[in-house]
Amino acid sequence: MLKPPPPSDVERVFLPIIRKDQIPAPEPTVTPSPTPGVTPPPPGTSQRVAIDPITRIEGHLRLEVKVEDGYVTDAWSAGMMFRGIELILPGRDPRDAWVFAQRICGV
Amino acid sequence: MSAVTSSLSERLYQEGVSRRRFLKFCGVMAATLALPAHYGDRIARALLANPRPPLVWLEFQDCTGDTESFLRASQPGVDELLLDLLSLDYHETLMVPAGLGTEQSLMDTMQRFPGGYVCIVEGSIPTAAGGIHCMIRGRTALSLVQEVASNALATIALGSCAWDGGLAAALPNPTGAVGVRDAVPGLAPLISLPGCPANVVNLTAALTHFLTFDEWPATDSQGRPHFAYGEEIHEECERHDHYEDRRFVLEWGDEGHKQGWCLFQMGCKGPETDHNCPTARWNDATCWPVAAGHGCVGCASPNFWDRMTPFYVPLPDDDD
Repeated sequence: MLKPPPPSDVERVFLPIIRKDQIPAPEPTVTPSPTPGVTPPPPGTSQRVAIDPITRIEGHLRLEVKVEDGYVTDAWSAGMMFRGIELILPGRDPRDAWVFAQRICGV
Repeated sequence: MSAVTSSLSERLYQEGVSRRRFLKFCGVMAATLALPAHYGDRIARALLANPRPPLVWLEFQDCTGDTESFLRASQPGVDELLLDLLSLDYHETLMVPAGLGTEQSLMDTMQRFPGGYVCIVEGSIPTAAGGIHCMIRGRTALSLVQEVASNALATIALGSCAWDGGLAAALPNPTGAVGVRDAVPGLAPLISLPGCPANVVNLTAALTHFLTFDEWPATDSQGRPHFAYGEEIHEECERHDHYEDRRFVLEWGDEGHKQGWCLFQMGCKGPETDHNCPTARWNDATCWPVAAGHGCVGCASPNFWDRMTPFYVPLPDDDD
C-alpha cells in the first residue's frame, strides 16, 4: 500500500518569475570594466558574444549569447565536432556496440 | 612557461619528491624503453640538466580518453610531475582561458618558441566537406593542425584516432577522418603512439628518450616506437602458456575463465597486435584487459575498428 507522503512543515517556496522589465536597474556605481581594445556597445543596442571553445569540458562546445542592455536575452549552444558514430554502428555485430559507444566520451 | 627555466631538481624538491622516488622513475623509464638498467642514471642526469620544451595539446575528433590516460600518470608519480614540468601551454580540457583567450595562449607559445614546442595531437582530423566536422574558433581542425604541427619541434600523434583516423574513420567514415600523418603529409618528426587510449607511460618514455638522447626513439614504418610496439601482445601475455597447452576459455564464466585460461576462442586479438600492454599495464601498472578477463581488442593495430571486428569472433587459428 502506498502511503501519502507525511505532511511537510517546510513551506514550499515558488521563486517569482521575473520579467525583463522587472529586473532592477544595476547599481549606478557598478560599471562594466571595458575589455582593452573592445568598445562597449552604446545603450539600447544589442551585441552577440561567442565563446568558442568552452574549455575544461570534454568536447568542442561553442556558446553564443545575445546581450541587450547588459542582459542576456537569447543563447545558442553548439557542439562543434561530429564523428557520426550513429552512422558507423549499423550493420555491425551487436556485441561490439559497447566498445564503439563507450568512445563517445572518454571522461 | 616557468618550467622552461626552472630546473627539475628544484621542482622535485618543492614537490617533496625524494631522490629515491625520482631514480625509481628513471629506472621505470629505462625499462619501458627496453634499455639496460644502468641507463637509469643517464636518464636522471639528462632530466635534471635539460630544459623541457613547452607542450601544445590539440584535441580534434576525440573522446578525451587519451587526456584521461595522461591525467592518470601512475606511480612513482614523478611522470605526472615531469609532464607538469613540460609546461603544458595549450590544452582545451585543462586550460583556464576560454574563447578568444585560448587563441592567445596558442599564439604566445608558437611565437615565443617557433620550432621549439612539442605538439601532441589527440583525435582524428575530418576532411570531408572542407573539414567542417570539427571547428575550433571558427577554424577547421585541418587548418589548425597543419599550422601548429608544421611549426613544431616534433609532433606526437597520441592514440589511435590521431594515428590512422581511429573510430571516426571506421567504415563508412562519414566525416572523412584521417590521422595526423595524412592531414599533414611529410611531417617529421612524427611519433605515433596508438592505443585506445594510448598508455601515458609510453608518452612519458618517448619524451624521456628525447630529453636524454636528444633524438626521438626509433620507430617502425608506421611511426610507432619499437620500444612500445615491437613485441606481439600474444608473446608477452601471461596466459600464453595456456594457449600453447590449448587450454581455452569457451564461454564467459566457465571453469577455464575462472582459472585464467587463454581468451583466444573468445575473440582475443593479442596474436595480431603489437604493443607493450602486458608489461606497461594500466592502473598503477596493476592490470590490463587480458588480466582482467577480457580479450584484447587490438586497439594498437591499424584500422582496428574494421580489421579487428567482430571483437568476439576468434581469429583464424594457425595451429589447426
